Amino acid sequence: MAPASPLQSSAGIGLRAPHYAEILERRPGLSLLEVHSENFFAAGGPSLAWLERFRALYPLSFHGVGLSLGSSETVDAVHLAKLSALVRRFEPALVSEHVCWSSASGRHSNDLLPLPYTEEALDGFVAHVDAVQERLGRRILVENVSSYMRFAHSTIPEWQFLGEVACRAGCGILLDVNNIWVNSRNHGFDPAEFLAAIDPQAVGEIHLAGFESQGALLIDTHSRPVTGDVWTLYRAAIERLGPRPTIIEWDADIPALDVLLAEAARADAILGVEAAA
Amino acid sequence: MSVLATAQREFIEALYSQRPCEPGVEVYRRNMLANLGGALAATFPVVERLVGEAFFREAARAFVLAHPSRSGDLNEYGESFADFLEAYPHARSLTYLADVARLEWACHESYQAADAAPFDLASLASVPADGYGRIRFALHPAVRLVRSAHAIESIWSANQPTRDGTPDRDTGPDSVVVCREDGVVRVSAVAPDEWDFLRAISKDATLEEASAAMDETFAAKFLAGGLARLVRDGVIAGFSVAAA
Repeated sequence: MAPASPLQSSAGIGLRAPHYAEILERRPGLSLLEVHSENFFAAGGPSLAWLERFRALYPLSFHGVGLSLGSSETVDAVHLAKLSALVRRFEPALVSEHVCWSSASGRHSNDLLPLPYTEEALDGFVAHVDAVQERLGRRILVENVSSYMRFAHSTIPEWQFLGEVACRAGCGILLDVNNIWVNSRNHGFDPAEFLAAIDPQAVGEIHLAGFESQGALLIDTHSRPVTGDVWTLYRAAIERLGPRPTIIEWDADIPALDVLLAEAARADAILGVEAAA
Repeated sequence: MSVLATAQREFIEALYSQRPCEPGVEVYRRNMLANLGGALAATFPVVERLVGEAFFREAARAFVLAHPSRSGDLNEYGESFADFLEAYPHARSLTYLADVARLEWACHESYQAADAAPFDLASLASVPADGYGRIRFALHPAVRLVRSAHAIESIWSANQPTRDGTPDRDTGPDSVVVCREDGVVRVSAVAPDEWDFLRAISKDATLEEASAAMDETFAAKFLAGGLARLVRDGVIAGFSVAAA
């Protein structure tokens, strides 16, 4: 396979099926196309054929949602083998997963469940990132998730947990600015404190998305435009970290491609301001 | 057991139970039911159209609570949904529903199955005439065979997005072949003898063994033309020759 084009610190989008044909036809200027790794675990067929075509035009980011790195049990060997085969075949620019867990005693939630931020959870998480990086033969990024509850026995702030994972496992951070905002509202902390604790060197990618309110909670639905507060926080993040490849995620009520491209252009404007400064 | 392991077991237990739980866990339970229910709706669109959205959502919810997801890959979820529907008391009057679900699962598997190199029928010329009976055809990995006492092919076709839901035929039985052509999953009803032949091939039968059960007239016609069509349609994707 031909080498992928180099990764730029500009905006890309989450690649979703309703936009496949239009992206191939228009070939918009994007730094990165991000897919959910599991959506390409098929043995063959059209999904992989599409991905081959995108791979020829754009750097890819494989964003996993099902590895359950925070589980107290060992990483699912079959799942990891499928990811490994996919990564070998497509040589994506980035590979990422989440700071969360999904399964226990053989039952899956297929959701990003919150971890108690304890030394025990940290040790386990670091060991699992080690195992994955060893298996894939490359560094991965791990993303901070939105959460809707906290554990009374947590002893470590979320941002410190994230930083410790990156430091001890030698992985990078996929900083989801929307998730920082959502959690700051759901759990009552200052998002600036979260940002200030992040080592700029560790951050390899940024996510932006929209959320919805459900009663007193903000829910990370990826179904709306990025809000003004999150754009402000993003600007602050770029000022602190420097420009980073940034993905606009939109997974439900998926809009016309132009809506996503406009969001990406807005991120590019902020990245450009910083790059020129 | 560690604190984390215990907490995670209890959390998953709470998600898959119907007992009242704290508001935070309730958010995750709702998300999970919506995600897994959404995965079922994506895999079984014809079933959803046949029973309506509200009925489907309730059936999906009951299924999810009784059949937890076992994989971090949502595409693997729902294999036993057809069996569940067969036993689902509220769907008892829709006798064909479970078999339609089986057909949709077959389509779902077909879509994701491995690719195979194109197969040229002319390559059979290398087989000496006295070896024909020992040819073992290989089905394309994306082929699935479904049989039902009901007119499932007709019902499935009538409930594709461009159709109004009125089936061309009301009565089965149907012998259905699912295959993938240029990345598109195709569903077709075939003659029962042809289906039996493909079924035998899928169980590694030789040409002689697979055609033995066919009606003689049918067999002659089939071997003269049907076989080439199956190759052209990508149903048969290769062959080997069994030892004499």
